[in-house]
Amino acid sequence: MDEDKRIILKDINVRYRGADDFQLKHVNATVTAGKIIGIIGNSHSGKSTLCRVLGGVIPNIISAEIDGTCNLLGYSPKDDWQAFNASTGVVLQNPAGQLSGLADTVADELAFDLVNQGLPASFINKRVANVAAQMGLTAQLGQSPESLSGGQMQRLAIGTAIVTQPKILIMDDPTSEMDPVGRKQFFGWLDTVQDTTVFIVSSEIDDLCEVADSIWILKDGELIVHGSPEKVFNHLSAQWRIPEPTAYQLAQRMNWRLDDNRYPVTSAELKEAFDAQN
Amino acid sequence: MKSEPINRTSMWKFKLSAATMTLIPAAVGINYVAKALAEGLKLPVWLGSLGTFLASMLAGPVAGAVSGFINNVIYGLTLSPISTVYAITSIGIGIAVGILHAKGWFSSIRKVFISAIIIAIVSAVISTPLNVIFWGGQTGIAWGDSLFALMVANHAPVWLASFTDEFVLDILDKVCVAYLAFFIYRQLPQRMVRFFRDDK
Amino acid sequence: MTDQNMLTGETVGKSKWYNAIDPVTKLLFILDMALLSFASTNLVIEGGLIAMALVLLLFSKVSSTTFKALGFSLFLIFTMLVIQGLFYSQNQTVLFSIIGIHFYKEGLLYATILGSRVLVIILASGFFMVTTTISENAKYLEQSGLSYKTVYVLMSVCYILPEIMANMRKIQQAQRVRGTNPQKTFIQKLRSVLPVLIPLVIKTLDQSMTRSISLQLRGFDNPKRKALKGNNHYRLASVGHYGLTIIAVILIGWKLWTKINGLF
Repeated sequence: MDEDKRIILKDINVRYRGADDFQLKHVNATVTAGKIIGIIGNSHSGKSTLCRVLGGVIPNIISAEIDGTCNLLGYSPKDDWQAFNASTGVVLQNPAGQLSGLADTVADELAFDLVNQGLPASFINKRVANVAAQMGLTAQLGQSPESLSGGQMQRLAIGTAIVTQPKILIMDDPTSEMDPVGRKQFFGWLDTVQDTTVFIVSSEIDDLCEVADSIWILKDGELIVHGSPEKVFNHLSAQWRIPEPTAYQLAQRMNWRLDDNRYPVTSAELKEAFDAQN
Repeated sequence: MKSEPINRTSMWKFKLSAATMTLIPAAVGINYVAKALAEGLKLPVWLGSLGTFLASMLAGPVAGAVSGFINNVIYGLTLSPISTVYAITSIGIGIAVGILHAKGWFSSIRKVFISAIIIAIVSAVISTPLNVIFWGGQTGIAWGDSLFALMVANHAPVWLASFTDEFVLDILDKVCVAYLAFFIYRQLPQRMVRFFRDDK
Repeated sequence: MTDQNMLTGETVGKSKWYNAIDPVTKLLFILDMALLSFASTNLVIEGGLIAMALVLLLFSKVSSTTFKALGFSLFLIFTMLVIQGLFYSQNQTVLFSIIGIHFYKEGLLYATILGSRVLVIILASGFFMVTTTISENAKYLEQSGLSYKTVYVLMSVCYILPEIMANMRKIQQAQRVRGTNPQKTFIQKLRSVLPVLIPLVIKTLDQSMTRSISLQLRGFDNPKRKALKGNNHYRLASVGHYGLTIIAVILIGWKLWTKINGLF
């Protein structure tokens, strides 16, 4: 397959300057464009560092020792930084910090990336309205970003990342400040996203299993396992201290298995397993 | 800390990096908050240059000078117009702190005290002419001005009286701010210090 | 600075006459007024300048910020009148006496002139302060040709300050819950600010780091950037700029000329 249709991480090692330990060790993975990757792991497992590598923040903005190859759709972060950056949308862990700090309204904040590209106002307005509708922020367009709640601010941060319609979306714990309804809406929205490769760090295992094509588990900077949610959770080691999805736990307790003898991880599979049993 | 001979950068960086660009507004904000805290606790000091100190220590004299300048301009245009002219003093403070820090004069409790005295002198020397031009030599702080009145009443030159008035206030303020900045700077995570110091 | 109105402004309502004047013209106006008051030592002219700035302010909007700035200065001007009236080095003529204390004409005159200048500056700035919003300044400055970076460095603090203040209140609340001893001495009080300032500074700087990363990812320094137009329509902006700049140059030149002549 073409290199420009894939995201390739080859033996990535990352160490911050002055740190003793590596934050990422020998990370290898290849992803086909258009997939949704759910990244999980306990704290300090290297999730945020991985997001920084995928977004090109390391080595372009934060200097760190990095070796190995990172290639996004044919672009290298060092050699093709403009094109690399143009093809990604990044949602950082801290939503308030992601905002520009010089926007009067939510609309201005959403428009920022497009204004930077010198696009015409009519185009910008249309795109901003569209993104606001997707993120449920239409009523807040005229408000100051400062006045938003934590969850709304997080949706605004996601909005600023998708407003340029990036080919690759990288989100570091984007629902941490959302209420259950907001989170449900977010994952519902994520399920509808098309033609975009998504890397999402989250601790919402159930929701991740519903939307993700693949789950990556990081432990102490190593990518210890990756594969479909069903495969990953059916081969989970207790030592990793990763919680299982609710569907899996329930099915295991009831001994409801799928055709291939595995336990289900999503609600649809759970129903399938239940129906097969009865 | 290991020395990094390859990445040694000069303390004089005139092109503001993206890191410095977001550091400066934060420094001005810290100035404002520190001043508000001091007023809230009714401390006899201003503390309004804490952010300028930290900006200078993190990113060098130019960043500190710009923080100080913008601090007074914004303060002047939103709250207290006359403070705009003291932007010159704040520039001086920013430069002095940046140089002293780069030369290692913020490395120990004892050295910080000497730095604070030098900074107070710089501040008072720049402020005195402004005080004379705008306020006939006064500072607007009661006990400093009492000293001023006492000296003028005893036929001391206005310049000397005004300098004394300003200096006694400055020395207390700058010693407090220098120690606060010293203790806070030591608590900052290394990744942060590196980020703002980096030439990128 | 914390006033939310200053951010959002009243652009929603009807446009007032002063909205047609651009921020730079208003700033140049402050400069000219200050230079005029410094060029003169005539009380009548000073009075005229004060009246002019006051009328302008009264016809635009009266705000509590101006009163606060005035309140502090009026007190200082009063102490200045007392100190200079009593001790000014050129005091000769007794103007009046209160319980045997002589107030001299020269000192009072000197303090009055200085005080008038301060009032001129405060009132003229007051006009700028009450008629311009922060967002208007930011937009106008970028449209006038300043880079986004420069405007950001200048103005961003006005946008992020509410957030810093909110973080401070959160930290203070947490400290209070943990229970702190009442502080009495100066050193105790000074020490008590550290537990608030350390987390606040770290939080604020952390936010700056994220913001710096985000701004770079979002392409703030793209040379193609075209600033959005503001809502205000300014009239005669260039006439105002040139006219007021010429006045400022003449005033400075004249002042320098008289100073140089005075030397010989």
